[in-house]
Parts: sequence; C-alpha cells; structure tokens
Amino acid sequence: MNDEDLALLISRVGLKDRDAFSRLYRASSPKLFGVCLRMLKDRAEAEEALQEVYVKIWARADGFVPAATSAAGWLQAIARNQAIDRLRARKPVADVLDEAYDLPDSTADPEACAVAAGERRRIDACLDELAPDRADAVRRAYIEGASYQELADHFAVPLNTMRTWLRRSLLTLRECLER
Amino acid sequence: MTDKNSDEPGAEGAEGGNVRRDELVAGEYVLGILSLDDRRKVEARMATDRRFAATVRRWQTNLSGLDDAYQPVTPPRHLRRKIERRAFGAPRPASARPSLWNSLVFWRGFAFASLAVAAVLGGMAALSGQAARPLLAPTLSAEMTVTGTGVDLIAAYHAASGRLLVRPVAARNEGAKSLELWLVEGGHAPRSLGVLPETGEGGLVVPADLRRSLSAGAILAVSIEPPGGSPTGKATGPIIAQGPVARMP
Repeated sequence: MNDEDLALLISRVGLKDRDAFSRLYRASSPKLFGVCLRMLKDRAEAEEALQEVYVKIWARADGFVPAATSAAGWLQAIARNQAIDRLRARKPVADVLDEAYDLPDSTADPEACAVAAGERRRIDACLDELAPDRADAVRRAYIEGASYQELADHFAVPLNTMRTWLRRSLLTLRECLER
Repeated sequence: MTDKNSDEPGAEGAEGGNVRRDELVAGEYVLGILSLDDRRKVEARMATDRRFAATVRRWQTNLSGLDDAYQPVTPPRHLRRKIERRAFGAPRPASARPSLWNSLVFWRGFAFASLAVAAVLGGMAALSGQAARPLLAPTLSAEMTVTGTGVDLIAAYHAASGRLLVRPVAARNEGAKSLELWLVEGGHAPRSLGVLPETGEGGLVVPADLRRSLSAGAILAVSIEPPGGSPTGKATGPIIAQGPVARMP
C-alpha cells in the first residue's frame, strides 16, 4: 500500500470509520509489531504495546495532517514512542531537561518551518559523515531504543562522553540534512 | 541559571542558544534517548508551541529513513479483536463539540461549486445544535476533489447521529501544504481563522477577537499554504474556495 492510500485510510479513521480502521490495521500492523518487538525484545510486552498503539491511532487519527508527515512515518512514530515509553518506564534513566535545558519560548527560526519532505532518504548519507562508532550509536538509540547509559556501557565510554557524542552527532546531522 | 548551558556541545555556534537547544531536545526526543519525565515535558511543549512541534516533526521525518531496519512481523490473530474492543469501547473524547466544519452556516457559505456535496446535504437538517454523541461507523462517505488544486476532501456521514464530518486531505501534489481559513469582512484585509486540519475533525475555534466579525455578509475563504499556515499572516497561496456567510433559517 503506498503512502497516499495509507494517508487516506488514516484520514478516514479520523472520521471514526471502523472499516477503515480494520483495513489500516491489516496494512500496517506487521510493520508496527516489528517495531515493538525489535525495541521491547519481549513478545508479550510487544503485544501489549501494539494494542496501545492502535488505540492511540484510533483516538488521534483526527489530528493527522497529511501535509506535515508521511503516513507511514506518522504510524511508526506512534509505535516507536509507545515502545520507548515502555522501555523508559521499565528502566528509568536520568532526566536531562534541567533548568538550562528547560523549555523557554522558541525564538524565531524560519528554518524550523522548512519542509523536510525529500530529505528522508538522505539520513543514511548523512550518517556516513559521522565516525562509524557515532553513527552506530545513533542507530542503536533510534532503532533499539538504547539509553545513554546502555550506549555508554556498550561503547565503554563515560556517560557524559556519550551525551556529547550523540548531541554533536545530532547537530552534524542537522547541518548535513539542510545542505 | 542563565549561563548554565555554556558548556553545551556546540553552544559556541552562530545560532541563538534557544534554537540550538530546541534542536537538540527535539532530536533527542525523536531519537528516544530522554527519560519518561523529559518526554512528557517535550510533548507538553509540542502541544503549545507550534514551531517547536514543527522542529520535532522535521526530526521525525529526517530520521524515519531508519525505520527500514524494522522487519515486519505478523501479530497474532487474537490481537485485532482485543484492539477493536479497546478502541471502539472507549467513550467518545470531549472534543466532539460542534465545529465550523459540521455547521450548516459554513456549508451554505461556501461555494464549493465543483464539489458533489449535494448528495450528503440532505442528512444535515438533523445537525443543528447537536452535542456529542457516540459515533457509530459511518453509513455514507464521499471523496471530493476540488478541481485543479490537488486538494481532496473526504466526508463521512453517520446516519444514526446525523453527523457529517468532513476533512481536507491536501496531499495529492508533491510538497506539503496546509489549508488555511480566512475571514474577509468590513473592508479589512483577510484575517486568518486558523489552519484547517490540525485541530481534529477539520474544526477550529474562532479567535475571540474575530467572533464579532464572523456574521452574515462576511466572506470565508480557504487558501493553500505552507505547512502550519501562511508565514506572513496574509494568504500566500491560491484561494481554492470562498463564499458568503448566511444566517441559518
């Protein structure tokens, strides 16, 4: 099913169309179950997470904006977020949004509105610009839901070093993706 | 507290610190690396700060290329029934107040000349003043194409409640767009009533200072704008629909 068809189905689900919900489930659940399994690495928990994911999809489909994100990306973000929430609840990690990080009003940044469409495939090329271990850390964080501590352990570096790795990597990626 | 982030990685860059920090927080959020509390803070901010939400969405799109790593696995059969029971059994959210999109004034006002809405208008007499009701599966639906614009509207009609819901689907052409609703009244330049699809069920809440102006004789118009709405406060894209507002009989 292409992304446009998927977008149309989600829009219909936003109108509380149960039949569309069933079709959306058939079309998307293997991928989203794959996300839950890969991140949670526990079948029972992945099944529980998948239920939560689709209950959220049903509740939130009316907020789906086809223009803003791809349909597949929107669905996968819901699945990843659900799995990450479960991972973080299972094994809490340190808060980092302290006062210095704390959420002030954003200053005007016209680039924040820049459309990301078309940039999507460039992530692989941009990851290649990072040192291999840092690109690997980014992938492990995103795909497996690894925490800073788990990454620090895996790469045998101090926690703060890992934070700096990932944050610098994010800035490099952003710069690369905007070129 | 003011200087606490001067040792933040990359803080020496040319950009403002807030923008830089927003980028990092949004990126860390999408990466999934934040704690549960921090994730809730980010989500609360997204709900109130549209620009920040757009930054998160951009990271989501940018990193979504990595989703290819997830191998599809068919879930066990019994899950679907459980999910449907949980989803459909839930009480309807409180957001079901009647919105502009469901209002007859709105539909009368619009001259969607090329839209095949006549077929569903008959069901709308029952709409006036309805409060939230449980929604059953729609009994009728329509996909409407606004000629020459790449914009589609989809409609679903729920016979049991008489509710007709309509949402724009502005994604047919390549490139992202939003649909923005404008109020033209009393010789003023068009004033934005908001971006259409982002508030659920195609509805939006008219800003308090514009409510007096939204009266019979005013004109409503819809334009195609960049995602999130016109960056200038004036309509920048083509006007795809417009029409006068009339009082309901």
